[in-house]
Amino acid sequence: MKKISIILIIMVGFLISCTKNFEDFNTDKKHATVVPAQFLFANAQKALADMYSSTSVNINNWKLFAQYWTETTYTDESNYDVLNRNIGNTLFRIFYRDILVDLKEAKRITEEEVVDGQEATIAKNNRLLIIDLVEVYTYQQLVDIFGDVPYTEALDITNISPAYDDASTIYKDLLTRAKTAADALSTGAGSFGGDDLMMGGDVAMWKKFANTLIVRMAITIAAKEPALAKGYIEGAYAAGFAYGEACSFQYLTGANSNPLYQDLIQSGRHDFIPANTIVDMMNTLEDPRRAAYFDINGDTYRGGIYGESNPFAQYSHINDRIQAQDYASVMLDYTELAFYLAEAAERGFSVGGSAATWYENGIRSSMEYWGVAAADIDTYMARADVAYATAAGNWKQKIGTQAWLAFYVRGLEGWTSYRRLDFPVLNLPPAPDESAEGAVPRRHTYPVNEQTLNGENYSAAASKIGGDKLSTKIFWDE
Amino acid sequence: MMLVMVFAFLSGSVFAQTKTISGKVTSSQDGLGIPGVTIQIKGTTIGAITDIDGNYSINVSPSHKTLVFSYVSMKTTEVAIGTQTKIDVVLDPDVVQIDEVVVTALGISREKKSLGYATQEVEGDALNTVKRDNLVNALSGRAAGVQVRGTNNMGGSANIVIRGVKSLTQNNQALFVVDGVPVNNDNTNNAGQISGRSGFDYGNAASDINPDDIESMNILKGAAATALYGSRAANGVIIITTKKGKKQMGGKRAYGVTISSSINTGFLDKSTFPKYQKSYGAGYGTYYYSDTTHPTLGYHPGFEFYYDVDGDGQLDYTVPTYEDASYGEKFDASLMLYQWDAYDPASPNYMKKTPWVAAENGPEYFFQNPMTLNNSVEVAGGSEKSTFRLAYTNFDQKGLMPNSSLKRNNFLFNGSYDVSKDITVTASANYTKTNGLGRNSTGYSDNIVSSFRQWMQVNVDYKMQEELYNKTHRNITWNPNSPFDLAPAYWDNPFWVRNENYETDMRNRIIGFVMVDWRITDHFSLMGRASVDTYDELQEERKAVGSGSGEFGVQRPDVTSGYSRFQKNFSEANYDLMLNYKNQFTEDLSLTAFVGTNIRRTMVDQVYASTNGGLIVPDLYSLSNSSSPLLNPEELYSIIGVNGYFASASLGFMNTFFLDATFRRDISSTLPVDERAYNYPSISGSWIFSNMFESDWLQLGKLRAGYAQVGNGAPWASLKDNYTQNTTFGTTALFSLPSTKNNEKLVPERTHSLEAGLELITFNKRLGADLSVYKTNTVNQILPVTVSTVTGRSAMYVNAGEIQNKGVELQLFGAPVATKDFRWDVILNWSKNVNEVVSLEGDIKNLQIASLQGGVTINARVGEPYGTIQGTDYIYTNGQKTVGANGYYLRSSTSDKILGNINPDWNAGLSNKFSYKNWAASFLVDWQQGGSVFSLDLYYGMATGLYEETVYTNDLGNPVRNLISEGGGLILEGVFEDGTPNTKRVEGADYRVFGYSRNPNAAFVYDASYVKLREVVLSYSLPSSLVSKVNWIQGATFSVVGSNLWIMYKKLPHADPEASQSSGNVQGWQSGVMPSTRNVGFSINLQF
Repeated sequence: MKKISIILIIMVGFLISCTKNFEDFNTDKKHATVVPAQFLFANAQKALADMYSSTSVNINNWKLFAQYWTETTYTDESNYDVLNRNIGNTLFRIFYRDILVDLKEAKRITEEEVVDGQEATIAKNNRLLIIDLVEVYTYQQLVDIFGDVPYTEALDITNISPAYDDASTIYKDLLTRAKTAADALSTGAGSFGGDDLMMGGDVAMWKKFANTLIVRMAITIAAKEPALAKGYIEGAYAAGFAYGEACSFQYLTGANSNPLYQDLIQSGRHDFIPANTIVDMMNTLEDPRRAAYFDINGDTYRGGIYGESNPFAQYSHINDRIQAQDYASVMLDYTELAFYLAEAAERGFSVGGSAATWYENGIRSSMEYWGVAAADIDTYMARADVAYATAAGNWKQKIGTQAWLAFYVRGLEGWTSYRRLDFPVLNLPPAPDESAEGAVPRRHTYPVNEQTLNGENYSAAASKIGGDKLSTKIFWDE
Repeated sequence: MMLVMVFAFLSGSVFAQTKTISGKVTSSQDGLGIPGVTIQIKGTTIGAITDIDGNYSINVSPSHKTLVFSYVSMKTTEVAIGTQTKIDVVLDPDVVQIDEVVVTALGISREKKSLGYATQEVEGDALNTVKRDNLVNALSGRAAGVQVRGTNNMGGSANIVIRGVKSLTQNNQALFVVDGVPVNNDNTNNAGQISGRSGFDYGNAASDINPDDIESMNILKGAAATALYGSRAANGVIIITTKKGKKQMGGKRAYGVTISSSINTGFLDKSTFPKYQKSYGAGYGTYYYSDTTHPTLGYHPGFEFYYDVDGDGQLDYTVPTYEDASYGEKFDASLMLYQWDAYDPASPNYMKKTPWVAAENGPEYFFQNPMTLNNSVEVAGGSEKSTFRLAYTNFDQKGLMPNSSLKRNNFLFNGSYDVSKDITVTASANYTKTNGLGRNSTGYSDNIVSSFRQWMQVNVDYKMQEELYNKTHRNITWNPNSPFDLAPAYWDNPFWVRNENYETDMRNRIIGFVMVDWRITDHFSLMGRASVDTYDELQEERKAVGSGSGEFGVQRPDVTSGYSRFQKNFSEANYDLMLNYKNQFTEDLSLTAFVGTNIRRTMVDQVYASTNGGLIVPDLYSLSNSSSPLLNPEELYSIIGVNGYFASASLGFMNTFFLDATFRRDISSTLPVDERAYNYPSISGSWIFSNMFESDWLQLGKLRAGYAQVGNGAPWASLKDNYTQNTTFGTTALFSLPSTKNNEKLVPERTHSLEAGLELITFNKRLGADLSVYKTNTVNQILPVTVSTVTGRSAMYVNAGEIQNKGVELQLFGAPVATKDFRWDVILNWSKNVNEVVSLEGDIKNLQIASLQGGVTINARVGEPYGTIQGTDYIYTNGQKTVGANGYYLRSSTSDKILGNINPDWNAGLSNKFSYKNWAASFLVDWQQGGSVFSLDLYYGMATGLYEETVYTNDLGNPVRNLISEGGGLILEGVFEDGTPNTKRVEGADYRVFGYSRNPNAAFVYDASYVKLREVVLSYSLPSSLVSKVNWIQGATFSVVGSNLWIMYKKLPHADPEASQSSGNVQGWQSGVMPSTRNVGFSINLQF
């Protein structure tokens, strides 16, 4: 019996002594639990640039929606089928989960940083403001794509049913935030240094970025909020990008190559070609940028018929420069600013030059960016169908057409410019998805996931904006 | 402490002088000795086993009154000891067993009739007669409530779920325990493979268990049966007992040798492979050529008219070779034009125009007949004090695909030795080495079979593809971009892929244990066991320079060449200590009890790395041969520790009433410190009511019932948050918040289970029935609930949700005919499980398990069975499919419509065995009724015009693919939105009409029912009269076997409804699944 008791005691003792490593067992030793803020910020910048640059049909179809490009064999997205691939889900996922939440986390960690000295304090403040600017930039894209989106209640895991905010209200708040950053950024100290993948930590450039962004946002709502837009634009334009300046994301090679390279070259697929919408127009204008935008097919530039099936070999292709591994994606630039200011001038805002001047600046800076020779630019500007005085149509048509041509590759800007100015007139694909109701989409539908995961707020938002449809106009869309 | 007191009180052991009893056990059938009969002193743990001639000896003391002789398929017989020293016993065969002894949780042998829960035995013969690459597949249809789904992948994984899915997102696979050692059954397939994107199916690790070593298998289905396994008991347990050597008495021959050998070959089951249309070739229709006529050949807009191939200054018609579809120009042997094989100088058709016809050798040509060789040799035997068995099995399979093989070498040694009268040491070591070569790729992308089923040109001759590859060893594909750009548009030459882009894998595994049994007193015994299951695994994948672009390696970027390696080390150690107590207090009252501890440590250490951006030097497969710096390798290092203690007591009264209670407490390292200890109780009882009355017709009537709780711990490291690291950008590290929010307050999942059963044996033991009903509720599910990504996360771990399983299982078994020479045995298994997701977290009504290509999802939806297939549906008007004004079907605007469910309505298996003298024949029919499957193969393949259904004569008597203007086209069955019948004709010449583009997902969801003739065996054994005359041979059996011979019934066209990507929770979706094969073979078994 003694034996039995001893055995039982050994058993109990064995177990009690054996749990001291348990917490260590359950610790993941291959992943970081603490990271510096700039690496989260850089990650968000890259995620933003990747989505913006991509032409994957699962992520970014704006280059199709803007009719810069069209598809060869599989034309669903050119025909506005956004449901088949649940693209809305992907967009929300990238915007909120891959970009915005990392920015928020970067901000949280930065705020907790203890810094010594005045310069370090300013630099810390600069970092917070720059994070905020990237956040503002990102939210503007979200609103421009969807309309009302979650904003005040977003990015909080303790609230899994975030309400949607009014798009116009978001815009106004974004303008305030951009203004705050534009004013408060101090060139007296640095920021992120080389870990800032867009501006290399150049605070002066971020200041210009902020002012340019203010102009962009303000002009977008100018039709609906002229007074507000006037104030912001007149106060900011002079401090925006100077001629030739831009914010761009400089890609590297290999795994850090431009997603366009990955989609167009690395994939080995031949899914995209320039659309006839842009090629035909540039042919008519004998636009010298054609050589930089496309390649020549035989003896001419031939664009694939938008939305139709187009055998790859029979049409012009996307220019090699754009398909290079390290092609830098322009996020915001002077060209854009110039076209916005041309519009501002037409709207009667005081922007230091006439619409014609800014229009010409826009075209010239675009051409220079694409490497067009000065003489060819002059020839182009002198054409009756290009020169501001003589080009066809009202100012919306003139500016709309040239801005759209200049925004090439930057699908979202091209599509938004079209939606705001309704020019140039885009083609209608042959078999548009029923959901498009026979027209070029005015917005993107919300993620299907939101219907199931955040149903009440989804329904409220959908009914508020006038239906979760491709045809529903964003609040700024006239 | 209570238990200690009880033991102390009960253990009044008496030590007195002993005597030895010996004797021989023979069979009443042939009078020969029976080896392996268990002799036990009633009410004690003391026992012995007969040797190969049926002799035994056992030491007894005066307090011992009765010996119990038991043997599988024989009636258990009790003999009073009295003053005898020699007891010979004759055992009668038991047609249907009543006194069967089965192995239950933690390796405890119990009389089946005393159990208060359902178990089901499967004999080793049923598992190893047909040689398979995965043991799990052999269980299909063999046991009620056990659902098995194979994949058809060579060496592929097999899904095994007992009594329904219980965990929303965690493992639902049954636990395998071999001789008391839990055997890891992980599936190392990556997330991309499981969700059908791309990759290889490396199988589930339980396939290392060698069927030839299995003596028997006992399936513990419900929680009451498995509760002693605590946190790993929730999914049912499969207890495997391996063959052992037998003790020998009196200096007789000490060993026997068995050699068995089998060969199997398979033939493509054409009902599981596409039937292609043979009328239209490459392309997507009539848009390639827009001029009106060709100078000589006329107008053929389905061809390209763009290249001057021969350089004569004239444009030539060419096939749009870059299109992987067959919706193009109608075949016409009089049309001569340049096709894919005209562009490479190595081709016999170089620069030759060839007639436009369907290929003579379609994709069927690609497959070869699989061949399996299985050879094993074993030596088993023993002495008076020891037993041993040494076995070696070599399994060698050539797969259905060219250049594929699976080889397995298995060594097993087990043995026992009586160190003293009271102490026995048992040890076992099992070494398995598995080598795979050229497993078939799976899923949507970069999978040859998804090309065959979805993306192909029926004008491509695969024999020509083979010839050109063999001749050049270059990737001359049917799918070049153009006559002047011969790089693959999408698809490589499949023979290139098989021979150049092959994977290899290897797993070295050791499973072993050392066990000491110490009989401390008559009533107490102690068992200590240390066991280990450890393996290292290496999976290498290759993509040769010259291949088309495709997803590959870490993060799956598109590359044109590469090399990747996945290395995994796994080990699990278990240390068990168990104190047993057994006593027969009076004639009527018996108690069996034990207390024990279990310490488990499970370690996984793995790394996955690949080249980046391609290979520099062709054919050099090493990580350093990478074009660009490597992407961050994926590393995992995890340890899970569980300390458990347990106790069990079984009371028997009058051999009629039995009561079992068990208790286990686990302390788990994956749970929060304060709440890491959890209890798992169970109670069950049975009543043999047939003992209450004498009846001629009822030999056994038993009622049983039980209640238990078991659990499932938290996943490793799911408490605290970490950051995800992305590929470094230049010199800047990139970190991101992970997509899933962890939770520091997790508790284990709990399954509450109730079951009851009725067992009957009647008609003079010629018919038996076993009926079970059960209800299990699994609550506190640990699930990463999908949340709106607006929160910044995709999911967060919570303890929430409940799944309920209710079910009925019925086994009928009997021997309708049993004469001296002829015997017919039947076993029928039928089971129905009704699963319901009762609740999820808060207001969440839907949990997405997987999002799959084609826009369908697999979900857990409240109020529905687990595994709803959701996607877009038709719009119905008055119950009719509705078309829009354009004549095409309207589709729901959202993808959350329930289109089907992965769970079958019921499963059944019917096995029959006939024996006549030395002949035996058996067959097994396996039936699944209901369940759904989404076919991505048809979703795309109907659009690319591959299948015979896309070519037919329409209502106007013309080919449907003619233009409407030429009398073609079709009117889809349905109504307009106003309810009037559809009258709008749509183009049959437009590829969109039949496939994904214009139809909802619902059009491609099929009933997954099947009835299969799973197995047929015919065997002949040499008569014992003959064998006994020759000295050198003990027995010989010859068998002809067949498996998967005939799918007698199915509703899914062109594929095997059972086929899937992988084992796991993602089921009910097919893309590029392998066809099945009908297998026949011959085997021979010789005993010396």
